[in-house]
Amino acid sequence: MRARGPLALLLLFAGCHRTDLSRPLIAIIVPSQDNPYFKAEGDAAAAYAQEVGFRTRVDAHNDDAYRQDNLIDAAIASGAKAIILDNAGADSSISAVRRATNSGIPVFLIDREIQATGIAKAQIIADNHQGSRIVAEEFARATGHHGEYVELLGRESDTNAQIRTAGFHEVLDKIPTLKRVAAQSANWSQSEAFQKTETMLQSHGDIAGIIAGNDTMALGAAAAVKSAGKRNIVITGFDGSPDVVAAIQSGEIAATSLQPAVVIARLAVDEVVTFLHTGSTGKPEKQVILCDLVTRTNAADYRNFEKIR
Amino acid sequence: MNSVASTLTTSDRLANRGARLALILLRSRAILVLALLLILFSILAPNFFTANNLSILSKHVAISAILAIGMTFVILAGGIDLSVGSLAGLGGMVAGYSILHPLGPLPAGIFAAIVAALAVCLLVGALNGWLVSRAGVAPFIATLGTLYIARGAALLLSDGKTFPNLAAASPSFAALGQSFLLHIPAPVWLMFALYAVAAFVASKTPFGRHVYAIGGNERAARLAGIRVPRVRLITYLFSALCGGLVGLIIASQLEAAHPATGESFELNAIAAVVLGGTSLAGGRGSVTGSLIGAFVIGVLADGLVMLGVSEFWQIVIKGVVIVLAVAIDQFQTRLQARLLPFLLRSNPEAGA
Repeated sequence: MRARGPLALLLLFAGCHRTDLSRPLIAIIVPSQDNPYFKAEGDAAAAYAQEVGFRTRVDAHNDDAYRQDNLIDAAIASGAKAIILDNAGADSSISAVRRATNSGIPVFLIDREIQATGIAKAQIIADNHQGSRIVAEEFARATGHHGEYVELLGRESDTNAQIRTAGFHEVLDKIPTLKRVAAQSANWSQSEAFQKTETMLQSHGDIAGIIAGNDTMALGAAAAVKSAGKRNIVITGFDGSPDVVAAIQSGEIAATSLQPAVVIARLAVDEVVTFLHTGSTGKPEKQVILCDLVTRTNAADYRNFEKIR
Repeated sequence: MNSVASTLTTSDRLANRGARLALILLRSRAILVLALLLILFSILAPNFFTANNLSILSKHVAISAILAIGMTFVILAGGIDLSVGSLAGLGGMVAGYSILHPLGPLPAGIFAAIVAALAVCLLVGALNGWLVSRAGVAPFIATLGTLYIARGAALLLSDGKTFPNLAAASPSFAALGQSFLLHIPAPVWLMFALYAVAAFVASKTPFGRHVYAIGGNERAARLAGIRVPRVRLITYLFSALCGGLVGLIIASQLEAAHPATGESFELNAIAAVVLGGTSLAGGRGSVTGSLIGAFVIGVLADGLVMLGVSEFWQIVIKGVVIVLAVAIDQFQTRLQARLLPFLLRSNPEAGA
């Protein structure tokens, strides 16, 4: 265990490297740092921003609009030149974005939109609606358009959870031979998805598939299916996390919808640079980036939320 | 006393019997509620009352029951341990780290992972015990602090990432949470083994008596010569050990360690302890009660999932059950106090 003390310290310092105070600051605020998707998004934005000459700070609001408010205030107080924000709620984030904008700090929204236009300089979002439709189509195809299935929902108060389940059902409800027999929220959590899938498999033992609102829940479902000794249950996720891409290659999970987190993060930094130089991003405020369907045939092309070839 | 009892009138005797019955029912309410829930879900949900489902249900219960068993001693001694959920997260992460980084000072494999995880958790438990019994920090504050410290440490260990594919690196690690003995899952054996030890220690050993004595009246316990700080420290160490065990079980079941694992588990454990009739003020309660409390919460959770009830209602129902349990507990205490002279009149032992 002796080796871990210095390691933890090292990690601690790694978190605050490159604090060259002469560089302009970009505050990057993401929902969480322990979810691989948001982690990749924050890291990609920070790495690219540092590459083009900025100083960065990455904070997480944990989907708490109040904490987001405080982080925006902190960004204003520390004289950030721009804020890149993956917001904590379409309605509850508007006032925070407005406050930063009124203080002269441009806000660039990534991943999720807000229910207001003309405040943020850009809203670059992954198309969750299109993404959920393509993964639902693959789910239907893999089950042979036939059988009973269960759904694992994300945190039900979360906008993306609602958009995704709506997208799934636009596709799946048109197929009369495919029937949803149960749906439970596992709050995006792997261990909760594991337990709830185990329990749902008890009341619905011969389901053809499990469609999950994100990747961590798909991984939990896959572990439960494996522990129940079941085979041929089609599981799909949403996000395109490296763990799920690996599980797709090994055949435990059928497909996922990859949100191009890295592309979106870099695009936001590019637009920050253009905006700071010219006073405009030169693009429409809302920019929708399509999701990619990842299946066994193309899984090798993706690494850490990015298409590598 | 027999002559006094024989002079009671018939109506007195009937009222006496009714009051005693009410008390017996109140005292065993946790097990009654559990039986009621089991019957209810068996009728409403097909496949609920099958061996397979009860085995899976017990496996789910084991997570909060193991935490609740550890928590019982802490609460009985007048403390509280808010850090166990974070410790489950930290324990799993330390195990994941040592499985994927076998170059540490300990030899690689499942043994090193278990030892490392439990050792780190015991260290935090020792910190809890020291803060509470030596530094004089209130248990709520001390363990709230270590809740954050342990969670932050878990996140630092992997920089927020998940340690994936643990079973591939150490196949035996998966056995911890996934294997069966006589058709019963390993975590359930672990739960019952811990329960047996804990129930024995609580009721049959001097240490158990000391825990109750400290929770009942710390000053009196100290004057009676009980080494209060040492007993306190052991309760926090045991609770932390239970936290680490839960972390190991979850990491083994998922074959992956995630730093956010165990968030708000401490509240589930406290709820189970309280449901089981243990007083948050300390000095009164039992390990058996906590086990039953954990089963009540677990049966409710899984049963509602099988019925297809929405998550939102599940949360509301859980809250209602907890509040009702404590309200009934207060009612029982008052009823007992009011009936005490009456009960003593007919049976001198009833008040003991």
